[in-house]
Amino acid sequence: MATMPPAELRALAKVLDELDYYEVLEAPRGASGSALREAYHGASRRFHPDSNRHLDVDLRSAIERIAKRVTEAYSVLRDPRRRKIYNEMLAGTNGVRRLQLVESAAAASQRSRNEREGLTPHGRRFFAQAAADISRGDSASALRNLQMALTYEPENALFQAKLAELRSQGR
Amino acid sequence: MAEVAIGIDLGTSNSCVAVAGRDGAEVLPNAYGEGVTASVVAFAEDGSILVGNAAKANVIHAPRTTVYSAKRLIGRYFFSEEVKKARAICSYEIVEGPNHSVRLKVRGEEYSLPEISAMILKEMKSIAETRLGHPVTKAIVAVPAYFNDNQRQATKDACRIAGLEALRILNEPTAAALAYGFGKGLNQKVAVYDLGGGTFDISVLEIGKDVFEVLSTCGDTFLGGDDFDDRVIDLLADEFSAKHGINLRSDPYAFEKLKVAAESAKKGLSLEDEVEIRIPDVVQAADGQSLSLERRLGIAEYASLVNDLILRTFKVCDEAMQQAGLVTRDLSGVILVGGPTRLPLIRQAVRDYFQQEPRTDVNPDEVVAMGAALHAASLMAPEQQSFLLDVTPLSLRIGVAGGLAETVIERNTPVPIDQTRTFTTFQDFQESVRIRVYQGESRQAVENELLGEFVFAGFARARRGDVKIEVTFEINSDGIVSVTARDPATDQKASTQITLSSGLREEEIQAILARGHTERVQTPSPLVGDSGPGDLAPAPDEVASADDIEVLPETLPETLPEISPSVSAVGGPSGPGEDPEVCQEADVRPGIEIDLDPSVDELRPEDPDDDLLAAPGSELSVEISGETVDLDTETVPATLRKD
Repeated sequence: MATMPPAELRALAKVLDELDYYEVLEAPRGASGSALREAYHGASRRFHPDSNRHLDVDLRSAIERIAKRVTEAYSVLRDPRRRKIYNEMLAGTNGVRRLQLVESAAAASQRSRNEREGLTPHGRRFFAQAAADISRGDSASALRNLQMALTYEPENALFQAKLAELRSQGR
Repeated sequence: MAEVAIGIDLGTSNSCVAVAGRDGAEVLPNAYGEGVTASVVAFAEDGSILVGNAAKANVIHAPRTTVYSAKRLIGRYFFSEEVKKARAICSYEIVEGPNHSVRLKVRGEEYSLPEISAMILKEMKSIAETRLGHPVTKAIVAVPAYFNDNQRQATKDACRIAGLEALRILNEPTAAALAYGFGKGLNQKVAVYDLGGGTFDISVLEIGKDVFEVLSTCGDTFLGGDDFDDRVIDLLADEFSAKHGINLRSDPYAFEKLKVAAESAKKGLSLEDEVEIRIPDVVQAADGQSLSLERRLGIAEYASLVNDLILRTFKVCDEAMQQAGLVTRDLSGVILVGGPTRLPLIRQAVRDYFQQEPRTDVNPDEVVAMGAALHAASLMAPEQQSFLLDVTPLSLRIGVAGGLAETVIERNTPVPIDQTRTFTTFQDFQESVRIRVYQGESRQAVENELLGEFVFAGFARARRGDVKIEVTFEINSDGIVSVTARDPATDQKASTQITLSSGLREEEIQAILARGHTERVQTPSPLVGDSGPGDLAPAPDEVASADDIEVLPETLPETLPEISPSVSAVGGPSGPGEDPEVCQEADVRPGIEIDLDPSVDELRPEDPDDDLLAAPGSELSVEISGETVDLDTETVPATLRKD
């Protein structure tokens, strides 16, 4: 039987959010891929929901919470790319312990690149004109062009920011 | 005596039940001594319901009241491609139920798919109870790994209706791997090639003693042995049409005979290099003359008919190997699952692809039920554990503005798992958000399977962007999805176990349980055929004489020099002691054509405008907040326009 004493389980579930993935898996930070897998298998033996059907509801839900975090930890750490990002986050000062699995950093940067220029042909065209207006110092024309650009892309954060900036300068 | 839980492989064409004890798992044979029972339900005129091989034999006499391959329809929307195809081909009547669900109309009564599956499950339960000599209430049911949440939920519902508590919903390939490696203390990587009646799954696992970790799983729920049979049916029907000008497909009785012949030919070709297909009196010509169909089919010609289907399975294998990050030489074993994998053609192709001899020491028809039984026993007796670490086969997505669906949990992520995403409101003083959850691999929402939707309200009203809504997506060990929305400011919560629109609501399940449909399942007895034009069904007393088809549990004769439905196609009576390797495959399936791209056109909302999360006007919407601390700051243009 692989489970921990109930008191320990409850305690672990309680502090789960304060543990980083290495602590969840009980693996050292420098653990190799196969060591991580061993740690994952070990943690799964301890916390797999299947092995705890006989327990009380509150203990089962504690174990399920831990099991999900174990899976999450392993999903991040087994992937070298995610692990690198995670290690950098851990080294940071903001106390982040969890990483979203769906990494969209690349897509996000693609999007911001798109936003810089605009997502639609007309949006791009008016925004480019507005940029040219600004560099020429023609803020009235820039304002009009930005507003036009925004009618095509009302949610473009960059367009909005530019417009706000222009308006605040105008005051 | 300790309570016993059984393992059930609820297959498209055949089902199997097993139980595990101290000495491993054993298959529980049905009353005829057969390890597998046809997943066929026949509805007799007197209201009795017959399940199994006898029901299957009945399909030629009563195609309209005999339901087969129901698993192809379970958990699907009425407007899905699969259902459209089944409607065109199946001889039983498929109608639309509430919320785009699928219902089968038989003898004036409508049945949901979970009810039909429950009839089969109930039969398996009763086989187990007969063999074990005591009631059984708990089971692990195996489903194709590639089943989505809707299909899993519907299967769970079927269990409840059948009076079985589903301890777990297990993936078939995972179950097979468990049967292969249980208690052996193996440390190896294996692939499970599972070609069933209606679905194909490939799973790559790493076995580490008692831990069975699925590294990846891929599949095609539109590809199975049925499709192999369809190719032969097409060949026979086209040739017959060219010769006699009669379309056998339009005559349900002739069509069912074609199906039996095609299936028998497939089985025959598992043993011989050539089979002879003979269907005497397949149809009557306009002048009243009775026509027969005769043809020899060799393995090479058969190979040319199905070669592209086999190649498709390996495309899926490529994907699975890639996702697992392995090459074929990393594998220590290849396990074959499913009747069609008996075809030498497929064995050879598998051998070529994986560069190794596939395992032949596991029975491909029984291995899944045995694995499910082993796991069931391990759940009931915690001292003999096996740990299954499975993955979700499909990406879980949330609908966002613009008709798009953002990934929240990628496919092949281990389960159980949860992920929380933070969203914000899109309009000032917005009162509620609609959350739509999908499964699939497309960015376009409509190209994924809609699991469900719910509206979250009750959060603080504020300017747009000021409200935070945390949406938590969870996939449990059964692969079942639930979604919770929470306003961190007020701790107001709304949650749903996503229930599919095409499934059964709790009240419906209760009503079915109260109605006790499945109570009417009878022990095997000859059935009366459909009445109606073109009825070829013999009277019940003629059935026993087997002049055309026998209503008897069928198995395959040891050798098949000839295939003809005049006994060998449906087979003679079976007895215990027959070689299960040869005899236990029996399947009847609808001639459903395959879709080359299952992801397309799966879902078409009734109202085309309704698929926008951020629709104009009073329609409420969510957008992904860029303020979450995680990396996942990908956002989509929360536009109010449709492109």
